[in-house]
Amino acid sequence: MAELTIIGLSEYGFASSPGVLMTYGLGSCIGIALYDPELRMGSLAHTLLPVSHEGTQSTVKSAKFTDLAIDIMVEELVKSGCAKERLVAKLAGGASMFDSQYRSFRGDIGQRNVDSAKKTLAGHGIPLLAEDSGGDYGRTVEFHTSSGLMLIKAIQKPSKTI
Amino acid sequence: MRIANLNEAQIDALREVSNIGMGHAATALSQLLGKTVHLQVPQVLITDISKVPELLGGAEKMVVGIYLQVLGSARGNILMIFPRENAIRMLDKLLSRENTRGGLLSELEVSALKEVGNILASAYLNALGAMLKMTLIPSVPVLSFDMAGAVVDYVLVDLAEVGDLSLMVETEFFEDEEQVKGHFFLLPDPPSLQIILESIGVLHG
Repeated sequence: MAELTIIGLSEYGFASSPGVLMTYGLGSCIGIALYDPELRMGSLAHTLLPVSHEGTQSTVKSAKFTDLAIDIMVEELVKSGCAKERLVAKLAGGASMFDSQYRSFRGDIGQRNVDSAKKTLAGHGIPLLAEDSGGDYGRTVEFHTSSGLMLIKAIQKPSKTI
Repeated sequence: MRIANLNEAQIDALREVSNIGMGHAATALSQLLGKTVHLQVPQVLITDISKVPELLGGAEKMVVGIYLQVLGSARGNILMIFPRENAIRMLDKLLSRENTRGGLLSELEVSALKEVGNILASAYLNALGAMLKMTLIPSVPVLSFDMAGAVVDYVLVDLAEVGDLSLMVETEFFEDEEQVKGHFFLLPDPPSLQIILESIGVLHG
């Protein structure tokens, strides 16, 4: 039986194989998984804000920032023996839960989260293998370290594996 | 104003102010439903942002979330959460119809629920504004019918930008036979929290 780790909003976690990393109810938040297919070791973060700014490094929950979460996961995976050049990524979420008229208040935060993740991954040279993002619905994500597959569940939508 | 530094008197003041605002909102909802709507004592919930979905009944719980921004002299967010079955019962009453337990909400249902949100928020903010001698205006309400975690994350963005704690003034309201139940959350923006406390006269000690 694979060990299950639940990742809360603005948190991240790790698992070796066989393991399942799970996070519930992503709206404009995104779930980013990093994975080393050779060691079958992975990490999943549930991030809320696209980009960190001056001084935010000092807050406890650095993983609430999409860019910092990726930096932290890369660093920890490498520390655990993963090779950075083997790491691959998948992501889900980044929806726009409320009517589009509301985007003007803050910009489309979901899309900005996705963009920030792509930019940060590119900076690390980590390929994004697959994504399931956007739309106006919430997602629950399971990442399986034995296969590197991400299972995405939504209400009123069929489940999807990427 | 740091959320972690709020003292007991300030928390009491927020609770009291919200109680008066919710009193007006409950009266408005009572008239709308033709039933008496009761209030629980408001709570000031100061919690780690990662724990907020649990306060709403769990990240995967199906809820109707109605969200408005507070504009004017003080800013913030208002979120009303109705568990799915309660939102449906409220619609049954409002739209005088037989139960429809289908999946998605129709356009009419969404519109009716937004209007409920608008009436509650307007009554709440009017009372709050009169008391604090400031103008508080609700934005147009928007609605999402989905997992609680997905509904709430957008609302936490402003708070998360400045810290790891969220402050929510929460009031539960319910109609006589427990047919309709919901939660009303006020999340003041951190700079506006200071303005509100100053206006009540409890900013210093």
